[in-house]
Amino acid sequence: MASVKDLRDQIRSLKNTQQITKAMKQVAAAKIRRAETAQKQARPYADTLGEMLRELVAAVSRVDHPFMNPGNSSAPSGMILMTADKGLCGAFNANVIRQGEAFLREHPGTTMYSVGVKARQAVRRLGGGEHPSWPLNAASKLDAAREVAKAASTAFVEGKISEIVLVSSKMLSMLVQRPQTQRLVPIARDGIAGETGGSGPKAMVEFAPTPEAVLSQLLPKYLEFTIFSAMLETDAAFFAAQLVAMNNATDNAGKLIDEYTIQMNNARQAAITKELLEIVGGAEALNG
Amino acid sequence: MATFALKLIAPTRVLFEGRASLVIAVTTEGEEGILAGHAPFVGALKPGVLRAEVSDESGSRRLELATDDGFIQALPDRVTVLVERALSIEEIDIEATRTELSTATDPAAIAFAEAKLRLARSA
Repeated sequence: MASVKDLRDQIRSLKNTQQITKAMKQVAAAKIRRAETAQKQARPYADTLGEMLRELVAAVSRVDHPFMNPGNSSAPSGMILMTADKGLCGAFNANVIRQGEAFLREHPGTTMYSVGVKARQAVRRLGGGEHPSWPLNAASKLDAAREVAKAASTAFVEGKISEIVLVSSKMLSMLVQRPQTQRLVPIARDGIAGETGGSGPKAMVEFAPTPEAVLSQLLPKYLEFTIFSAMLETDAAFFAAQLVAMNNATDNAGKLIDEYTIQMNNARQAAITKELLEIVGGAEALNG
Repeated sequence: MATFALKLIAPTRVLFEGRASLVIAVTTEGEEGILAGHAPFVGALKPGVLRAEVSDESGSRRLELATDDGFIQALPDRVTVLVERALSIEEIDIEATRTELSTATDPAAIAFAEAKLRLARSA
């Protein structure tokens, strides 16, 4: 049995750990709120952009924009792998990376882009070598999203990749985050038109200069903004995952502390009993 | 004067939401003035100065913003403007913009800097 001193040290160290995990939990809780506010603030723009896009697609009969045409079919796929920058969040990053690996197995030779430090490390490990990468926690997420969109769409338009796929985290609830794979480009016409089934008026809309011209300006923005939204969602989902992970860690530390405290008390009691027996034994011998 | 609902939205915030009687925006085809009851219209905006006669809780006023590229959607009863960036006169740093203009090489950045200066001068 471990000595009383060993157990006491063990408990002290566990209490320190518990303090740290508890603090991280509280920080994560505060940061979720901020991440969710950022998400909420971005929603009006995203909604309006989507609505305009739907109206435009409905208005034009044929779209001649690279994003809406099938890409160079002989080129490899392009994948944007998006995770958080940091760990200590359970299986959050690992789940997304595993989803990315699965895509890679089905599409060997995929050109990879990464957003988030953990994704960058994963892509390097998967044989991506030096590749275009961005941190998730950039000074301006919007600017970072623009750069990502530009890099990937340029490669697509030049025919170096056949499609742009985004692997990121979807936040289903505070407790559940699920990795998802979505194809961003080429944009499926049905996908846009069918999203809400036309809530806006179907009246004749006038476009300046032409529907095609507006559309060709709008599509790159739509791509940028989809990536930006995904970044905001990953950010919020990361803190939610971290909150849960740190909550579990705090609970587990508490359980261990209780367990070791009982062991320590037992050990102390045993030592006292032993000492008493020795004294009594010694006295008996003297009285002999 | 008849009014319509106006929403000015930037990627990370809603710049204005309220009633307006007139919006003048610089589209790629030139300035477009929009009054209430305008026929459905969608246009692409280029960097320029966006003007609007608006009224919200703080009363009627004229809203002027230097905007980067974006989009405008007009319906008879509401107008929505999406802009990448927008600055009011108070937010423009003239000196910084001048340096920006002299160092910028990207045509889009130059156009936005010019729009900012144009707004600053008109004040």
